[in-house]
Amino acid sequence: MHDIIRQLEEKREKARLGGGQKRIEGQHAKGKLTARERIELLLDDGSFEEWDMFKEHRCTEFGMGAETIPGDGVVTGYGTVNGRLVFVFSQDFTVFGGSLSETHAEKICKVMDHAMKVGAPVIGLNDSGGARIQEGVDSLGGYAEVFQRNVLASGVVPQISLIMGPCAGGAVYSPAMTDFIFMVKDSSYMFVTGPEVVKTVTHEEVTAEELGGAVTHNTKSGVADLAFENDVEALMMTRRLVSFLPASNREKPPVVPAFDPPDRLDHSLDTLVPANPNQPYDMKELIAKMVDDGDFFELQPDYAKNIIIGLARMEGATVGIVANQPLVLAGCLDIKSSIKAARFVRFCDAFNIPVVTLVDVPGFMPGTSQEYGGIIKHGAKLLYAYAECTVPKVTVITRKAYGGAYDVMSSKHLRGDVNFAWPSAEIAVMGPKGAVEIIFREEKNDPAKIAAREAEYKSRFANPFVAGARGFIDDVIMPHETRKRVCRSLAMLKDKELTNPWRKHGNIPL
Amino acid sequence: MFKKILIANRGEIACRVIKTAHRMGIRTVAVYSEADKDALFVDLADEGVCIGPAPSKESYLVIDKIIAACKETGAEAVHPGYGFLSENAEFSRRLEEEGIKFIGPKHYSVGKMGDKIESKKLALEARVNTIPGYNEAISGPDEAVRIAQGIGYPVMIKASAGGGGKGLRVAFNDQEAHEGFSSCVNEARNAFGDDRVFIEKFVVEPRHIEIQVLGDSHGNYVYLNERDCSIQRRHQKVIEEAPSPFVDPEMRRAMGEQAVALARAVNYESAGTVEFVVGADKSFYFLEMNTRLQVEHPVTEFITGIDLVEQMIRVAAGERLSFSQQDVRLDGWSMECRINAEDPFRGFLPSTGRLVRFQPPLEQEGSVRVDTGVYEGGEISMYYDSMIAKLIVHGATRDQAIARMRDALNAFVIRGISSNIPFQAALLQHPRFCSGHFNTGFIAEEYPKGFDAAMVPHDDPVLLAAVATFARLRYIDRATRIEGQMPGHGRKVPAGWVVIMGEREYAMSVEPIEGGLSIRHRDQTYHIVSDWRFGELLFTGTVNGTPICLQIERRGLRYRIAHFGLQVEPMVMTQRAAHLLSLMPKKAPPDLSRLLLSPMPGLLREIAVSEGQEVKAGEKLAVIEAMKMENVLKAEQDRKVKRIVAKPGASVAVDEVIIEFE
Repeated sequence: MHDIIRQLEEKREKARLGGGQKRIEGQHAKGKLTARERIELLLDDGSFEEWDMFKEHRCTEFGMGAETIPGDGVVTGYGTVNGRLVFVFSQDFTVFGGSLSETHAEKICKVMDHAMKVGAPVIGLNDSGGARIQEGVDSLGGYAEVFQRNVLASGVVPQISLIMGPCAGGAVYSPAMTDFIFMVKDSSYMFVTGPEVVKTVTHEEVTAEELGGAVTHNTKSGVADLAFENDVEALMMTRRLVSFLPASNREKPPVVPAFDPPDRLDHSLDTLVPANPNQPYDMKELIAKMVDDGDFFELQPDYAKNIIIGLARMEGATVGIVANQPLVLAGCLDIKSSIKAARFVRFCDAFNIPVVTLVDVPGFMPGTSQEYGGIIKHGAKLLYAYAECTVPKVTVITRKAYGGAYDVMSSKHLRGDVNFAWPSAEIAVMGPKGAVEIIFREEKNDPAKIAAREAEYKSRFANPFVAGARGFIDDVIMPHETRKRVCRSLAMLKDKELTNPWRKHGNIPL
Repeated sequence: MFKKILIANRGEIACRVIKTAHRMGIRTVAVYSEADKDALFVDLADEGVCIGPAPSKESYLVIDKIIAACKETGAEAVHPGYGFLSENAEFSRRLEEEGIKFIGPKHYSVGKMGDKIESKKLALEARVNTIPGYNEAISGPDEAVRIAQGIGYPVMIKASAGGGGKGLRVAFNDQEAHEGFSSCVNEARNAFGDDRVFIEKFVVEPRHIEIQVLGDSHGNYVYLNERDCSIQRRHQKVIEEAPSPFVDPEMRRAMGEQAVALARAVNYESAGTVEFVVGADKSFYFLEMNTRLQVEHPVTEFITGIDLVEQMIRVAAGERLSFSQQDVRLDGWSMECRINAEDPFRGFLPSTGRLVRFQPPLEQEGSVRVDTGVYEGGEISMYYDSMIAKLIVHGATRDQAIARMRDALNAFVIRGISSNIPFQAALLQHPRFCSGHFNTGFIAEEYPKGFDAAMVPHDDPVLLAAVATFARLRYIDRATRIEGQMPGHGRKVPAGWVVIMGEREYAMSVEPIEGGLSIRHRDQTYHIVSDWRFGELLFTGTVNGTPICLQIERRGLRYRIAHFGLQVEPMVMTQRAAHLLSLMPKKAPPDLSRLLLSPMPGLLREIAVSEGQEVKAGEKLAVIEAMKMENVLKAEQDRKVKRIVAKPGASVAVDEVIIEFE
């Protein structure tokens, strides 16, 4: 017995050292923390329960039989974030370069299965050179086992991926199927094929950072949701994200004590929308002044900036915010912004998070690049997402709501629960200028007449009353009372129940 | 007394005049440009008349429009404020012709004082000290030396056509005067093609001190003591105070009597200001007379208890001054900081845009006064002066006034645009300012390379680290009260924390106390009690029983804290996290001199250079359209363009990279 306990201690000691002190120092030298250090930062102090510390691979090819390290390159288990249960796996680059073996995959699958059983988020810390080549198809099979679980868990428990080192080839597809991807600048990258293959095939010269670094995926591809300066920042901010999320789709998002009065008025919002309809303003000011404590956890802040998405709280409860940003491309919908917002709306819907939509949209972006790129199909994603969504939906139209984009942005017709408009709202098929040029085509060469027609159109449609007369708008509210009215609407909708007809699944235009 | 007056001005001064008028039971008319239709002063006035488009040349400076507005509204008198038409003799003459009273001096006084040469002559006749000098042609260096001896050293030898430091010499003795004259003549001939040179007294360590005078139409005059306006940046006043820390009672009386003599010489009826340049030896010389209400008049009001606008209105209505010189008080100390919409971190570039947050400190009768014409949610346009508010305090002593000003600046919240508050707060901490030993060269001497808020000395930086710890623990306290926890397995919050601030780390240990936290660093303990709420920009409470007010904002993992001009961005972590953070690579901040960043949000209209092109300092690089105005971005140094990052037509955010240089 004594002997067993001594052996246990030895084994633990060995497992904790992973690939050894030298490799740990190497990891630090690359500006990265070790798998266990990362878990320490992610979870509440002392809350981590490790599983499968002694698990070893079974491969005997290419001399692997002689090389085993307990844990096999991934640290797994569960712990808490502010007392709330999360499951975690953290790949250990110091052990076989964090490569994924069959047993490594089994460990990941075990925590995912448990997370599904009890209903708790899975957080994956990715730092892996890829498949364990010595294992061949066993390793590939391991990936697929993980992929399958990612898909089954999608919409059931929140899945968060942190990319904290290499993540290349097939390995990218596990994070790709999770809800959020956070990356660390300068030390992480994701790509399907690396710079060398790219060079041979397409003759493009590109560095790993340019091809798939944190900045690339946060600004160009939209693959990632946030970029951080280092591991510490990424992990601590992940804790903040977790605090917004329910443990599973069986629960409502968690509530924290709220101190910001729900009836707080902000008169400065009355002057937010400029008198000139072509002058932009910053929609983030409305978000900051509307939500609790001005605290907005923005996602994808540097991608498709014409739409803003992110999480916030109102009266202590999580809400998802979707807002057109007039400051960028006049806030129009294009391919990128439609996809960005659509995925976020579906996330909120899956996890019972009410969606607050702030609308100032002049329409869809015109142009060949948009049409050839399939704006029809991609714009439809956002329409589909809003139409399918059954969580509480509160919409505030601050200014323009033109054309099809009006319909898309959580309109009454797409089962918007409460639809407000500010007095500055203009709900119409298009702006006055364009409309008059079509309706009064024959008067086009008479500027005086056209101006008169424009004024007529403006007084008829450039206001919230036409939509109000039809009940498409529930009320016209003063900007300064936006927080109060949205809070009350959400409180009223707290126990909303709505289900879509049974089906295997819908056919969203992918 | 008038029943209705019109204010031919805008912004804070219009508001200020309206307030006094209303207190006196006089109705008010505002005139405003299209850009000002939503401005506070229009709202405060009983009536408003729009007088044209935004540019002042088409609105506030058009005499006809203002006269028409008077007739339309039946205003009997016009207060011109400062700037615009306030010192325009033509304006006051026209008003007189129309039978409308000008609340200010008569046009002949304005006319005489508006002319530099004539005002100097008048001053000489009124036995007011003027700078000794010689304005006639000088035949040669020997004559120059004789003249210099007559004036008394040091003297300044200056080219008549001079400017920008060219053609200027200071001589402290005969030899320097001899040489200086010759080289000055040569330089003037070469640089300006005009070799005329004059000599005048050089004032050593000059201070700008001015005397407030007040006269009525019955020949009564008083002086209301002095104001010291030596704290200037590029000849713009920044801080003014009354009295001056440099002036003694005897000097005050001498200056005051000369100022009154000058006012009397031009039959001055109204409030006016006689400006003097004062040397280190307490000699003072007349510079000019401002025939209007000054921006900095509130400091005089604080120490004398006299409402200058009220006096101006009463005098214009023909009343006699109700007090004489011996009734004029000098009570305590007053200071004014001009709050400008400008960015002290970017060479004081004007900052325009929306006032997302504007919360001035609370006014307190007799000690804190805020004169402003803007409001939260308002727009700061580029058409007018960048001054958006004046913060004025009063204390029994200069030290108390300084302390009150520091507190008031700590509590002044402005967001959306940049303001000079951090710079003002830093000035209020500067030992030389606090000692009162300064002259007009102060800012240029002390901030030769501009201003950096991270470099402002703070008495107790650990206090800021403690406040950051307090804020972090408040957030943690709430986070640990979230729903859905595993019962009995809550988060354990340690007592030991590390604050990482700049290059330093501070170990903190925390204990709860009634209403707050006790935070200890080594042998220093801070009992912080505060009901600060998450997201509040203003942090108020007490530290060891002493009231504290600072500004705090959570930005990612950092807390941006501004206090007494110092701005820091601490992070608060557990000891373990701080250790792990220390393993992370220190990333060098990007070399901004190699980048052209957008100074404002706007539309990139034009890129004027191409990749690979060599550009010279001052050359046009790009044009940004913001708020319908084109802003030309110029090269700061000679550079080669490496890459053009932003495309024309793109909207750019503030600090977004437009061009990379090699």
